[in-house]
Amino acid sequence: MERDLISKKELLDEKGISYGQLYRWKRKQLIPEDWFIRKSTFTGQETFFPRDLVLARIDKIMNMKDDLSLDELADKLSPALPDYEMRKSDLVKRNIVSSIVLQRFASEDDDSLVYAFDKLLYFYVVDKLLQAGEMSMEEGERLLEALREHFPKFAGKACDLVFTRKMGVSSFALLSAPSELYFESGVKVVARISMTECIEQLKGKWV
Amino acid sequence: MNQPAQGDLVINGVSTASGGQYGRVKIDGVGTVEGDIVCADFDCNGMTKIRGSLAADTMDADGMFTIDGHLSAARSFVDGHMKVRGSLKGDSFSVNGLIRVDGNCEIESFRAEGAFEVGGLLNVGTMDVLLQGRGKAGEIGGESIRVVRKSSGPLNKLLSWFVPRLATELHVESIEGDVIDLEYTQAEVVRGNRVRIGKGCTIGLVEYRTEFSAHPGAKIGKEAKVGD
Repeated sequence: MERDLISKKELLDEKGISYGQLYRWKRKQLIPEDWFIRKSTFTGQETFFPRDLVLARIDKIMNMKDDLSLDELADKLSPALPDYEMRKSDLVKRNIVSSIVLQRFASEDDDSLVYAFDKLLYFYVVDKLLQAGEMSMEEGERLLEALREHFPKFAGKACDLVFTRKMGVSSFALLSAPSELYFESGVKVVARISMTECIEQLKGKWV
Repeated sequence: MNQPAQGDLVINGVSTASGGQYGRVKIDGVGTVEGDIVCADFDCNGMTKIRGSLAADTMDADGMFTIDGHLSAARSFVDGHMKVRGSLKGDSFSVNGLIRVDGNCEIESFRAEGAFEVGGLLNVGTMDVLLQGRGKAGEIGGESIRVVRKSSGPLNKLLSWFVPRLATELHVESIEGDVIDLEYTQAEVVRGNRVRIGKGCTIGLVEYRTEFSAHPGAKIGKEAKVGD
């Protein structure tokens, strides 16, 4: 699964930033080390970035750098689960999680109930798979349970969610990333999602 | 030799101490520290070795200094020969002499007089280097990068003729920055906003945005104006 990458030069041109700024942000840990992907091209070694992640991150930095110092920004953008919270009613209003998911999985919760970030993340992942039409509601329920039980064990480390199906029987697995995984021939990998990316995307909805 | 937390560590003569948390650390003579060390003020003279990482607010090292792990210090002054096996991080770093870092360097303000070698990426805010020996880095990136060479004496010239790897030159794969001013540099790629290529440079490709000037003696494979 090749990700959509952007080269350093394209990135600088598109965002109108200089090499100095990019390196400064890297020094301040505003752009994580593992987004710098080195590849050899016909012009020699070049650095690439995951396009969606880095573009969103740079927009965020440019928006906030006038109000916050770079160190404050670094705290805000750290890879750990942030302590953002959101009310249930706002979830639908801001189109983070569809109302169907909430109706199905959180109908007993009050509208004014405030969710912590990890709860939001589980809903977000379930919603994402449902919207892609890859998963049924029943499976969503099981996924939600699996996430609640096992995701905290990774304690901030990067992990992937793997969704497989064989002869119509589905199963979910969480595994630490990066790792390689091979299946027997009858198994179909329906989806493999990076939880770290989901966290990034979800964090991006706050700004 | 175990000191209570936040106490001071003083070594005179030849000794070994354990790592840990200290207020002030002063080592004169031949000192070895076993393990990681965290302190406010680190001062060593003579031969010092740390078998671990060092984190300090200020560091002043004279003589031979080896760190097996990483170094992070807000302000550092080094006179002599320093070796860091891990990475280096700091706000201001000033060297007279020789420094070798095997990992990556992240320094806001880097000033060096002498020779340096960085295994990975040298990421600097401002870099001001007066080369008196060989400089080497995987990549250099930052805001303002300036490398000049002190005119080498006849003995040095003779030496570099026989042993080319001791030549007073900077060898680096790529340099990227806002303002770049180079002398006696061998690089594959130089990219920047304002680029000045001075004497004795051999550059494969120069990409610049606003300004470019080159010394007539510099060898440049290709130059290109990019952006806008």
